[in-house]
Amino acid sequence: MIKRVSVSLFFLVALSCLLLTHVQAADEPAGKKPAKTPEAIEKGRVIYYMRCSFCHGLQGDGDGPVAYQLIPRPRDFTKGLYKFRSTGSGELPTDEDLFRVISRGLPGTAMQTFDSDKIKSGLTEEERWQVIYFIKTFSEDFNDPEFDPYKAVVNVSSEIKSSQASIEKGKKIFQEMMCWECHGDGGRGNGPNSPRLKDKFRGDPILPFDLTKGWRYKGGNTTRDIYLRFNTGINGTPMPSFTDSLNDEERWHLANYVVSLQKREVNNNPVLSAKFVSGELPADPDNTLWGSAASIDVLMAGQVIAKPRWENPSVDLVTIRALYNDKEIAFLMEWGDRFKDTVHNPEKEYKVSDVYKGYVSWEEITRDIGNFRDSIALQFPTAIPAGTRKPHFFRGESGNTVNLWVWKSDLEESGQPPVEEVNASSPGQPMKIQPPEGQQIKGKGIWKDGVWKVVIKRPLLTEDKNDIQFEKGKFIPLALNVWDGSNGEHNLLMSLSSWHYVILETTVPMSVYLYTLLGIAGLGLGEFWLVRRVRRSG
Amino acid sequence: MTLKGFKLGRFWSTVVALLIIYLIIKWVIPFVSRWLTGLPFPLPVPGTLALFYIILTIIALFIYISFSEERLEEFLTPIRRLLLGMYGSRTRTVVLAIIPLLFGWQIYSATVPKVSSPTSLRIQHPSSNFPKDMESLKNPLMNPGDSEVDKFIEEVKGNNVQFIPEAASEIEKVKGEYDNILGFIPTEPMQAFLKDMKAGNVSRDKARQALKEKYLFEGRILYAMNCRACHGDSTGGDGPMADGFRLRPINFTENGTIETIVEGYTFWRVSTGGRGLPQEATPWDSAMPVWKADIPEEYRWRIIMAEYELAQKTPRQPEKLAEGGEKKE
Repeated sequence: MIKRVSVSLFFLVALSCLLLTHVQAADEPAGKKPAKTPEAIEKGRVIYYMRCSFCHGLQGDGDGPVAYQLIPRPRDFTKGLYKFRSTGSGELPTDEDLFRVISRGLPGTAMQTFDSDKIKSGLTEEERWQVIYFIKTFSEDFNDPEFDPYKAVVNVSSEIKSSQASIEKGKKIFQEMMCWECHGDGGRGNGPNSPRLKDKFRGDPILPFDLTKGWRYKGGNTTRDIYLRFNTGINGTPMPSFTDSLNDEERWHLANYVVSLQKREVNNNPVLSAKFVSGELPADPDNTLWGSAASIDVLMAGQVIAKPRWENPSVDLVTIRALYNDKEIAFLMEWGDRFKDTVHNPEKEYKVSDVYKGYVSWEEITRDIGNFRDSIALQFPTAIPAGTRKPHFFRGESGNTVNLWVWKSDLEESGQPPVEEVNASSPGQPMKIQPPEGQQIKGKGIWKDGVWKVVIKRPLLTEDKNDIQFEKGKFIPLALNVWDGSNGEHNLLMSLSSWHYVILETTVPMSVYLYTLLGIAGLGLGEFWLVRRVRRSG
Repeated sequence: MTLKGFKLGRFWSTVVALLIIYLIIKWVIPFVSRWLTGLPFPLPVPGTLALFYIILTIIALFIYISFSEERLEEFLTPIRRLLLGMYGSRTRTVVLAIIPLLFGWQIYSATVPKVSSPTSLRIQHPSSNFPKDMESLKNPLMNPGDSEVDKFIEEVKGNNVQFIPEAASEIEKVKGEYDNILGFIPTEPMQAFLKDMKAGNVSRDKARQALKEKYLFEGRILYAMNCRACHGDSTGGDGPMADGFRLRPINFTENGTIETIVEGYTFWRVSTGGRGLPQEATPWDSAMPVWKADIPEEYRWRIIMAEYELAQKTPRQPEKLAEGGEKKE
């Protein structure tokens, strides 16, 4: 008995050790901070040169060779302005604050994790400290005892757990404190002030954060992280500290409300199942029938494959659903877009110049409201692939073309049919619009509270050899292209997805029910026979 | 199965044995596999194999039970009692109803049409259309010739070293701060070379190392401009665009990626991209650009140099060269 207990105890201990190694928090230093010696700073200089200077500049001015292509711009270390801190508004960051940013990176920006536990060729803890000591040499402020950040660390009280009541209180505060003026009623970063905001680094335009994107919180998306932002503000941006205007408890409630706005679960399933409905397919994006169809979240990347390359797409996720009946198929796409852009000026379009450096500089294109339209395109291969080989997901290739359904907001706004059927065989050439008799798709788009919802439908089968034909039970490749006009996107400046699949859900054949019933009946009879036999013999 | 003061009947101990085997197949093996392989995902037992194990277990248990008359009797008694309603007729009804329903459920889930995504394996290094003459291609910047090194020494002496235009604005900003323009490169080989130069000791070997430092500086800039968005700052395949591509960009720090191929192959992949891959290169989802269209050859070699250095890897040596090297030793 004792032996048995000790064996199971051993396994329990071994198991918990295994589990524990997986949940180590890597954002906080595990070891002790090394001393700030001249040697440590020198080592930091070499690390900075090799790993940081290309974006942040050899002189720490945030203007290295790569800076032209990045939004937001790399931090200018000479100004001593740091966004994500544990210290009061306007104060310098502690070393630990810098350590956290270098270790976990800033999601949604080019600043990635440098934690060597996460990325093999990242920086060790000691190297991260050394580079921090060096970065601090760029600003004189760090030498001034008057600005000692450790004296300015904000107080963090114990967390008020989220509850319906706390969220309600937070929502009220969100309205009273006019958070919506920038962040918008639904938190999508589309408030009335949002187009006019500027940062204090270079006076660049800055957009309020879309609070619904749970995966993009630069300072972390937990209640505590968000509460900390209310205590510290975000230096260099219009986001203030709320320590004077809200009491401690109110800041926790507001943080709980902000967390409740986040979309946290992303369904990155590659297969979209189109649901069968017997009646008419909804043409309206707000029809309740859409709620019955399963959705998938399609993750988008910037178009970085062919020139002009674009690293700063604004649309990074599109939620998509599909319905079909015996005649037609319809798709609903939903994505966050702060501004409704319904004008298109072809003369403002970007042209690849002689000094093109690989990527497009965001300063070379017009990024404003009122220049380019919002748009989305659904892409299919022109024919369902016979084997597993698909056309290239970026506009196909010669001999293996793709069929796109393009919806354009400017057409929608002016009352024209908003959708076009086109074909493409390479990203290099303009897409070929099908002749009027080939245009069989219908579409409708609605923009509300920072969200576009667009429906496109078409007959399942057409006579056109340039069209994809929808057959039940087959995996049909599907990809997306999305343009956000006010982010300067048009033509190849866009976000795009890899191939996903749509499958027309087949109805369950009668035979399946029949086999199931037969199985149950057969086994039931067997049991009956057994009971009788046992009774007789027993 | 006897614990002190508690006896489990033959029937229940059989059921418990079966259950334990099932749990081992379902949970323990995947868990242990993850721990043994160090992979970030478990390796589950394939369905048919699991079924095979369970059938074997049932056969073994059956043989064990039917080995002696007593054991079989002991095993069958609770079943017989149940069928006779000795545990209460309601228990009997419930058990007799549940068993066919479970069976029906199994039939249904086995026959109902299911949706699962088509999979095709990633072929790591497809090479059927890889030009043979590129096999032995070496990075010309890794071993600059004497004349090139001499030219570099002259440039350093005259303090007019030329950089790629992409670095121009940076060089402009820092050049006033150093006696020699190369002084901003703080790495050991460069600093040692500059020190020797100042003292009037010119060594070709040290100059060669310094020249490589200059190429690396340019290569890192070009990598950060063109490749970082997908492959990441640290070549971990985790750049800001990486999540948007279902076939993730390659993680160069992983074993079995750029260290298992020759430099010529790396150069060919960088140059021809996803569209230059051969027929067999499933799943045809590579987002790799065709860089020969946009980046000159000498830039591509700089990038490859920086890429290996950042990933802390070295390329595989071409077969013939490697053999030759061994013979000499």
